[in-house]
Amino acid sequence: MLGNNAIMKVVTGVVGNDIHVVANRLIDLSLRARGFEVFNLGVNTYLEEFFDAVVETGAEVLLISSLNGEAEGWAREVKTLKAKYKHLDNLILMIGGNLVVGTGKAEDIVPRFKNYGFDLVCHQVDLNTGLDMLEDFIEERNSQ
Amino acid sequence: MNVEKDKLLIDVGSTYFKVSTADSIEQHARDFNKKILDDLTQRCGKTIDRFAKEDVYICSSANGGLSTLIIGITQSFSLKYATNIAFNSGINIIDTVLYQNIEEYSIPSDLIDVVIVVGGIDSCGDIFGDDLYNYLAKLNYSNIVFVGSEQDAPMIQQNIDNVVILPNIIDSKLHIVEEDLKDYLTNLYQQDIEGKEDIKHLYDITANQIYSTPYIVNKTLPLIDGSFSVANPFILLDVGGATTDVHYSKDLVDDNIVTENEYDRLVFKKLGVYKSRPSLVFAAKNNEFVYELLMHLKVTENIFEEHSEKATKILMQVAIFLVLCKISYYRKAYINLKLLAINSIVLTGGITKVLSNEEVEDIVAFFYKKILTSEHKPTVVMDGNYDIWTLGAKGQE
Repeated sequence: MLGNNAIMKVVTGVVGNDIHVVANRLIDLSLRARGFEVFNLGVNTYLEEFFDAVVETGAEVLLISSLNGEAEGWAREVKTLKAKYKHLDNLILMIGGNLVVGTGKAEDIVPRFKNYGFDLVCHQVDLNTGLDMLEDFIEERNSQ
Repeated sequence: MNVEKDKLLIDVGSTYFKVSTADSIEQHARDFNKKILDDLTQRCGKTIDRFAKEDVYICSSANGGLSTLIIGITQSFSLKYATNIAFNSGINIIDTVLYQNIEEYSIPSDLIDVVIVVGGIDSCGDIFGDDLYNYLAKLNYSNIVFVGSEQDAPMIQQNIDNVVILPNIIDSKLHIVEEDLKDYLTNLYQQDIEGKEDIKHLYDITANQIYSTPYIVNKTLPLIDGSFSVANPFILLDVGGATTDVHYSKDLVDDNIVTENEYDRLVFKKLGVYKSRPSLVFAAKNNEFVYELLMHLKVTENIFEEHSEKATKILMQVAIFLVLCKISYYRKAYINLKLLAINSIVLTGGITKVLSNEEVEDIVAFFYKKILTSEHKPTVVMDGNYDIWTLGAKGQE
């Protein structure tokens, strides 16, 4: 469960032309169960909408999911797009799901996506483990 | 369609006025040297005299609508939602300002009728600050309304004179909430129409409220397929003297806006064929396909300098082409409609008196072939008798 801080806001959704709604719903429910306030943009969401939702809600976390493997095409744009926003320096950027088309090793994929600007990358990691990673990250950041 | 025997419907446009009874419909070009009421009574006095004030219904778009400037914090939510509500309330958007870059925007020199400030859900605060107040201090506007986060509302009220605070148009799920802002803008437009000296005099001949024309037309849209052979989805183009309005079925948009309205409205303020003719010509000259279109119509660009019946015809055809370009995926804009999915294009306004069905079909076919590289041919329906307007005006009785 999320610690003693005020409720943290998370914007989430499935990026691009991806309609994996069940996974999206599970992420939504799991985040709520852990005490986050969730703004779920659903499936077929474009990058700009994710960042815009963060601005409108004042969310601290952006959790993007992708199942059909098209994430990499979108992820390459993340740094450039984020740079256009003036007040998102402290945003925690996380991506999870099946992040590439075909097969790939997590040890190759994770650093690549971190290089795209993500703080947390979960390639084919189960949901609870991924959310544990998020909570650990938040705790570590808060303790700094 | 039939208008009830004892009703008189009048629409005052920027260029023409139309007078409709149960058995006739007349259209007259306005004489700008005369007051509207004098012009109207001189041309149609006998008809008007036949009706009691209670049976006369008037709508007007004579001043081209109110202008607004919207200041919001994101393109996908606050600016988009406010733009949508403004268009549906009959308001013309002068510009949108992304708040984080507000210092980079030039200040419009014209008087803005209403400024809309929006941004943030209610649980998000401290969004707006000095840079907003500094910008507004330099802006020339008549009204200002705040429809953003309730946390920022007290600060906004304290720092902006005469600001109207309304409930947030973005709810806690990031959905649009239209009603309060829509009512405010519609009433403002209403007051503006009624406040115009010229329009005020029209109350001498009617005991009923004078409505704005876009409001009336929008009311008709859900009823259109009952009166015309129109297949859904469709778009309706109202090419007028000062503006061109586009009313479209929401099925034609991939959007994050979820509302109960089936139809939305979009207005191009500078694409009219009379009052805004110079800006239409300017837009035409800046469209790379217009020269091909002119060749297709077997004229040269000299036609833009002419003032003849033929030139008016060509300008109207160009206006249709430009509007279709502006709402298609060819140009990234506020709204891009899925034009390959439409089954009908309905045209209303003065254009139906000037162009034939074939001439419009020709332009539509040219647009689909050239811009969308498609042989798709939506049916063109011309509202030559202003049935759309009479249907809406009747609904208002």
